[in-house]
Amino acid sequence: MPGTIRSVSLVWVVLLVCLSSRRTSVGAAPICTNGQVGCHVLSLDNLFDRVIQHSARMHGISSDLHSEFEQYFLPSKNQIGRVGRICHTSTIITPNGKENAQRMAREQLTEVILKLLIAWRDPLWHFHQSMAHHHDFNNFSSNKALEMNDMVHELRQGVEKVAEKMQVLGIISNSVTSLASPEVLLPSDSADWRLMKDYDLLYCFRRDSNKVQNYLKILKCRIVPDHGC
Amino acid sequence: MGAIVEPYITECISSNQETFRCWWSQGDFHNLSSPGALKIFYHKKAFGPHWKECPEYIYPNRECFFDRNHTSIWTLYCVQLRSQNNITYFNECFNVENIVRPDPPISLNWTLLNVSPSGLSYDVMVNWESPPSADIKTGWMRIEYEIQYREKNSTEWEALEMQPHTKQTIFGLHIGKEYQVHIRCRMLAFIRFGEFSDSIFIQVTEISTKDSTFPLTLVLVFGVVGVLILIMLIVVSQQHRFMMILLPPVPAPKIKGIDPELLKKGKLDELNFILSLGGMGGLPTYAQDFYQDEPWVEFIEVDAEDADTGEKEENQGSDTQRLLGLCHPASHHMNTGCSNGVSFPDDDSGRASCYDPDLPEQDPLMLMATLLSSQTEDVETSFNVVERAPAPERGERPLVQTQTGGPQTWVNTDFYAQVSNVMPSGGVVLSPGQQLRIQESTLATEEETQKKGKSSEDKRQKELQFQMLMVDPEGSGYTTESIARQISTPPAPPMPGEGYQTIQPQPVETKPAAMAEDNQSPYILPDSSQSQFFAPVADYTVVQEVDSQHSLLLKPPACQSPPPCIPQHPLKALPAMPMGYITPDLLGNLAP
Repeated sequence: MPGTIRSVSLVWVVLLVCLSSRRTSVGAAPICTNGQVGCHVLSLDNLFDRVIQHSARMHGISSDLHSEFEQYFLPSKNQIGRVGRICHTSTIITPNGKENAQRMAREQLTEVILKLLIAWRDPLWHFHQSMAHHHDFNNFSSNKALEMNDMVHELRQGVEKVAEKMQVLGIISNSVTSLASPEVLLPSDSADWRLMKDYDLLYCFRRDSNKVQNYLKILKCRIVPDHGC
Repeated sequence: MGAIVEPYITECISSNQETFRCWWSQGDFHNLSSPGALKIFYHKKAFGPHWKECPEYIYPNRECFFDRNHTSIWTLYCVQLRSQNNITYFNECFNVENIVRPDPPISLNWTLLNVSPSGLSYDVMVNWESPPSADIKTGWMRIEYEIQYREKNSTEWEALEMQPHTKQTIFGLHIGKEYQVHIRCRMLAFIRFGEFSDSIFIQVTEISTKDSTFPLTLVLVFGVVGVLILIMLIVVSQQHRFMMILLPPVPAPKIKGIDPELLKKGKLDELNFILSLGGMGGLPTYAQDFYQDEPWVEFIEVDAEDADTGEKEENQGSDTQRLLGLCHPASHHMNTGCSNGVSFPDDDSGRASCYDPDLPEQDPLMLMATLLSSQTEDVETSFNVVERAPAPERGERPLVQTQTGGPQTWVNTDFYAQVSNVMPSGGVVLSPGQQLRIQESTLATEEETQKKGKSSEDKRQKELQFQMLMVDPEGSGYTTESIARQISTPPAPPMPGEGYQTIQPQPVETKPAAMAEDNQSPYILPDSSQSQFFAPVADYTVVQEVDSQHSLLLKPPACQSPPPCIPQHPLKALPAMPMGYITPDLLGNLAP
């Protein structure tokens, strides 16, 4: 008799545990990447928050690096044409104001974000390589360059996830071409970035990372408005 | 001569990331202070080198305002300060997002959260609103806030950690002091702060009502806890006393008489000594000294009866003999002795009831129990009292030495004897103890003197001293009559099934013929070589092997005298033994 009682109580305990675990939405389960089984699906709101945080961090690192370069090279603030060349991402049409960004369609805005992130994949990689070989820079800067490089990659994946989720939910149409073939988004004169100096590269990237951050925030507050907006 | 300060642009600031303003100053060039003397031109990098003039001047502020239509974010602006003569005094390039300094937050207020139990400090929650110019709702701007506070008369500000929410708690403010608080903010991941907000003042005076009840409850709680701890300490420290009161100990039985240490293994000799010694330096005096300080111990004094040597027939050889009731004439005394035991004053003797008529045979057992009882009186006295017969020797050692003349039909058997053999029927063969060995040696000398002068009867009687008792463990105890009969009467044919049988080891000097005539024992006696008979027999014999007939082959003791030792194969002697046993004394013949 005690044995049966024990087994029954154990079954009840297991059942209770299972039920309680189902109620708690956010558990320790991993986020689904490619339709895995047993993973926890994040809400769109949660996805947006994660991506925005990521972009903010990326922008912060690029800002720090740029300040260090400014200190190092001591360029004159009053120089006209401080930036030698136009950024290679200037060909990408981006809204440069709040109204323009709000007026832009969601699919277009998403596509712009992805274009920017894809465009910076190669230049940042090369920048990191050149930083590693330069003995002038300390390890701190080199680590930041590497981190920047990784973050662009991760952020791009995150934004792609967000776009997929939005398409699944019907928020945006399936016309986001960047998800199908990313290579289309590369600027035509993509080789220009190789001619840019490191300082200009940093300047351009700092600007573009801020763009990404802002666009993501606008997109989020438009689609999933909450108290943070 | 200080350097002349040229006109310059003070700063260009955007508060909402949608518009921005630039302020200029003429420096030392006071002639250019009139409006329109200095102009601002700007240039958007994206649109070629075409310079444009400031879209909106606010001359009283010496400010140039760029509205939304003229503001592009993420675009490089270059702004120049020119005079009317197109002399460029100042130039600055920037991105608008990098010159954003948000407006300060508004509507600061504070609420008291709680006061510390000591009544000396308190916590405050400060609330405010985001700057109205910053568009946080659409996510265009993300702002984080920094609170700073200080005591009114202090010069140093304390800054709390930046956070994006519009409320924050200040901990650890002191009662009675006045504090000044202000807040500033900046864009997330940017470095330029906006201006500080207007300050608010926080002050909390003493609150008496809360403090009055607090110490009282605290005192009560501490008092109760202290009292509890004290009680527990007392209980724990006096635990044994409490236990004594609550659960008084039960007096343990005290068994007097023999030191339990002696009953342990290996101390047989001392035990025999004590038991058989009698009053002469034996147990009584020992007991007397030992229990001198015990008030409840009674020593029963019995008149020492004169040793009547005429009554030797009772064969008061040893106390153990008397105990066992082996003395034939004394057998009936045992019965009376039991009845005499009624008058035994000491009641807690631990003896079996003497009133039981069904146990006449228990007399020796009773006597044995008497010996081992908690009585302090010695064995001799108890025996004397029980038998009511004049005990010849009160302190007499039950050794042969004192009774050299008298025939002794009884062997001095010690109370404790070692088992030397086990019969297949279950009977146990006892080996003589230490005293017996002594007796052996003494008797050997006596035997030599009396060798020829004695009759066979006497011889036999002496030889009986070496009798080995076989005690039947299944028996009801000691049968004194049978034993006595066996010993005193001519040897009857031994019955293997009977309780007791005695083995008569023959002295060395006796003829084999003499042995043969009284050889009634089932044991094989050595035939010729008896020289080594008196070799000391070990009390303990080691079993050498077990043969096919399940008989134990004991290891004979080491031969002391080399010549008599004739090593023989033990197995050769086996077939002649009907029961397959070898007595220890016979082993000497077989093997060394």
